[in-house]
Amino acid sequence: MSKPIQNALGLSTLVAMLVALFMVFEWVPTEAEQGIVQRIFYFHVPCAWVAFASFGLVAVAGIFYLWLGGQIWDDLGHAAVEVGMLFCTLVLITGSLWAKPIWGTWWTWDSRLTTTFVLWLMYGGYLILRATAEDTPQVSKFAAVIGIVAALDVPVVIVSVRLWRTIHPAVLVTRQGGHGLEDPRMVATLLVSIAAFTLLFAWLLMLRFAELRMRTRLGALAREIALIRFRAGAA
Amino acid sequence: MAGYAAIVKKDLMLEVRGGRITTVLVSLALLVLVVLVFAFDRAVAQGPDTAAGALWIALVFAGMLGATRVVLSEQENGCLRALLLSPLDRATIYAAKLTASFGFMVGAAIAATILAMLFFNLEFSMSLAALMLVLILGALGFSALATLLAVIAARARGGELLLPLLIVPLFVPALIAGVKASAAVLSGAALATSRDWVGILIAFDVLFVTAGYLLFEHVVGEE
Repeated sequence: MSKPIQNALGLSTLVAMLVALFMVFEWVPTEAEQGIVQRIFYFHVPCAWVAFASFGLVAVAGIFYLWLGGQIWDDLGHAAVEVGMLFCTLVLITGSLWAKPIWGTWWTWDSRLTTTFVLWLMYGGYLILRATAEDTPQVSKFAAVIGIVAALDVPVVIVSVRLWRTIHPAVLVTRQGGHGLEDPRMVATLLVSIAAFTLLFAWLLMLRFAELRMRTRLGALAREIALIRFRAGAA
Repeated sequence: MAGYAAIVKKDLMLEVRGGRITTVLVSLALLVLVVLVFAFDRAVAQGPDTAAGALWIALVFAGMLGATRVVLSEQENGCLRALLLSPLDRATIYAAKLTASFGFMVGAAIAATILAMLFFNLEFSMSLAALMLVLILGALGFSALATLLAVIAARARGGELLLPLLIVPLFVPALIAGVKASAAVLSGAALATSRDWVGILIAFDVLFVTAGYLLFEHVVGEE
């Protein structure tokens, strides 16, 4: 992965983040009912979008790994699941911070919260497999299979959890209905935040991916050196 | 088809001669139900909701143990390698192993249902047939997932801990649907009232039996 692209991406992430921070804290009007707490929404929603996107990427990388082979797909899936878990954790934390003053509780088994939490558990299991097992092609196949199975499960989880808890708190309903973001500046802030977080995601993914690629190459080199040494010893 | 029948027959014969898995699963179901009876307050531990929850807890535990045993029995003495060397399709091996662990889970479900009826003071009635249908649908989805994932857990380091970590979150939708449908049936409602839940269970089964059938060759292949 070329260094200039990486640096450009990092720099644009920085700029976008600063603009988003300014808009969130200075520019956008305070929401009438919830007050200042509502501003966490501009971080919460982009995190959720990024987490879902990266879990989708894990499944796509898994399919390509099983189909075409190639360590590059495995490294992509590995990087995506780690970055996705980071943002999924942030979604849960920012959601809790917001829920305490607004709903009066850190956690409630609402459909969205439950879905996100189940996703977090699923990919947590996937990460534990990655962490405990060695880096063999066999484990890469296991990871690809789990990534695909988990992605297949997501729609069923969403449907079942929605049926399980049909009563959405009013805040979420108005937010969904578009009434929560009356002011056009709120929509603009949300869009800029989403762009900033997408850039951050791309940058982090690229960094981790580049590192994993380098590790793969180092492993191949180490094997080659061991082979040369072995031959020299035999001769 | 002949190969499929041969593997299923072999697993069945092993069980008839030794009977280890059935004994373990039935006593596990018994233990889980006993623990739950003591864990809940006596006033609470009478209703259909608690009974449905207890049944599904027993089913999940039995499924985890049963599927692991069915897969692990192939790991001993390199049996799995011999199976892979045989001219059988990998998907056929999956179907046979799925059948075996599904069979054990259904056995455990029957035992757990009878025990739960007694422990939670429920009526033996026609609703039992509907309850069994729901439990069988859940057992099929669980064993489809478990057969696929138990191979992974058996071959990765730290495997025994890994299987529940992988399987329980994936099973959540079927668990929700199954508990809701079972509670409705136990409280006397017709199965048709929980049509949505049964639909989710069927969708879950179709999805993961297909996925396991297609993906199994990638997890059993040689290193």
